[in-house]
Amino acid sequence: MKEYFHEILILWNNHMLTMRTIEHLKMFSIALIISVIIGVGVGVLIYSQPKMASPVLNFLNILETIPDLALLVILLPLLRLGTGPTIAASVIYSILPIARNTYTGLKGVDGKYIYVAEAIGLSPRDILLNVRIPMSLPLIAGGIRIALVFTMGVVTLGGLVAAGGLGTVLQNGIQLYEKDAILLAGLWTGILAVILDLGAGWIEKELYKRYDTWHPQR
Amino acid sequence: MPTQRLFERIDSIELQRVSKKYGSRYAVESLELTIEGGELLILIGPSGSGKTTTLRMINRMTEPDSGNILINGQDIMQLDPVRLRRNIGYVIQNIGLFPHMTIGENVGLVPKLEGWDEKRTNGRVRHLLDFVSLPPEQFIKRYPRQLSGGQQQRVGLARALAMDPPLLLMDEPFGALDPILRKQLQKEFLEIKKEIGRTIVFITHDIEEALRLGDRIAIMDNGRLVQVGAPEDLIFDPVNDLVSDIVDSERKFKHMDMLNVKDLMTPLDAKYILDGGMNACEAVEIMKDRDIDIGIVFENGMLAGKVEMINLLKCEDERPFLRDITKPMKVFALRDSVATALSEMKMSREHMAMVMNADTVCGILVSDEVLLKLI
Repeated sequence: MKEYFHEILILWNNHMLTMRTIEHLKMFSIALIISVIIGVGVGVLIYSQPKMASPVLNFLNILETIPDLALLVILLPLLRLGTGPTIAASVIYSILPIARNTYTGLKGVDGKYIYVAEAIGLSPRDILLNVRIPMSLPLIAGGIRIALVFTMGVVTLGGLVAAGGLGTVLQNGIQLYEKDAILLAGLWTGILAVILDLGAGWIEKELYKRYDTWHPQR
Repeated sequence: MPTQRLFERIDSIELQRVSKKYGSRYAVESLELTIEGGELLILIGPSGSGKTTTLRMINRMTEPDSGNILINGQDIMQLDPVRLRRNIGYVIQNIGLFPHMTIGENVGLVPKLEGWDEKRTNGRVRHLLDFVSLPPEQFIKRYPRQLSGGQQQRVGLARALAMDPPLLLMDEPFGALDPILRKQLQKEFLEIKKEIGRTIVFITHDIEEALRLGDRIAIMDNGRLVQVGAPEDLIFDPVNDLVSDIVDSERKFKHMDMLNVKDLMTPLDAKYILDGGMNACEAVEIMKDRDIDIGIVFENGMLAGKVEMINLLKCEDERPFLRDITKPMKVFALRDSVATALSEMKMSREHMAMVMNADTVCGILVSDEVLLKLI
């Protein structure tokens, strides 16, 4: 047991897995933060301009269908090698789930709350900021959770375009045919993704519990 | 963003030939109604009679197709709706507390949007929660779902009072509560009403609630105003069958025919008795001490009549003797029928009469109280 652990430690250090993990999570966080800002922004925008909703969501759907590897390569001439295309591709994938859930959430707030808000003298802007957005938070969190899974996948793929992170370890392992390294890095990446998803799921559940507002098709 | 106060008090709300159509059907048709400042006006009628539409037009949640609505002579269509609504408190049956906000945040929402600082908002919220009998320490941090229906309704009232609005619109505020809780809240509301001295427009489908709370009652049917008046007007002079159905005057009349003045009179408290030899100035002092607005004047053990504080104040300088300025009062005997007594009082527009047995005073008959006792 102790020997296994020792071997793992050597392998871990040889491949600088601590540094790679930090790189990985850094890219992941930057991509997710940008995705949330743009995604919620797009969601609010198409909510306030309902005519744009259908074309925008259709366009995002088309982007979503491009295979991730192809998207990464398409972005290369524009953003060159490295973290740039990786983050960009993650964001492009993540906007749709976040924007769609934000839009659905804002639209789906129970009309009785909107009526009361108007009747006690809230302006449309007050209603958006104080009622619609907070009440949509559980649904928005659900969108972010889907985006999180996408982002984790694309960031790992970033190893192919010299973005660093855990994908690089996998890439090296494949090229040098180091089975142990592939196994370790693969498992570790998987565990990370599961942990992050569990965390996001917990936050989502807490929001539903606390707000008790949005019940999808209950 | 702070909005200016539109009115400190309500002098009148006038609905002038107001109509609202949904499709081909009139929800409200040519409604003429004046609501007086400081009164509690009840809107009552079958469902679909247009009472909620009427209420919603006052704060512009619904806009009339034709006609004008004036508050203190000002056309509300000229006012910014958000500003208007912040000057009008609004309470509805399903309350609509925001589930993502604590009780404190719910009540303090509009003050916060008005740019009040945290300390001022917090003070106001605590004051209001106290006012509706919810201890702030216990409730301010709770969420609406942790409260019972009755408690939520109190919070709804506190929220409506947040900006100290001179006008309150209430759409069946107690409708969803069980009967015992409803009675309790009505009782408390009557107390609150005295304290706040606001103009209130109140929808209900419960005639008991209407008679108990209303200064005047407006009966609506099919988008039209059928009759408006004080409770006794509706009971004694219903304009049609619908009104008598709603106020159930038949039953009350039957009931009343069996009753004598004796059954429904109120004992006369000695504090109301004044002596005819007293002058107006002394009488005012005594009435202030005794906290009464009306006095019954006796001279040598004989009833001389009644005096009212407002009239005494007017002639305080001349110091006339009470015996010279009393107004006559109707006198009924113990065995007189209540129905006859009330209609006589109604004819002479009096709401108070003496009840005597030969020369002995037995009590007084107050028309409002009689009605309440009959309910």
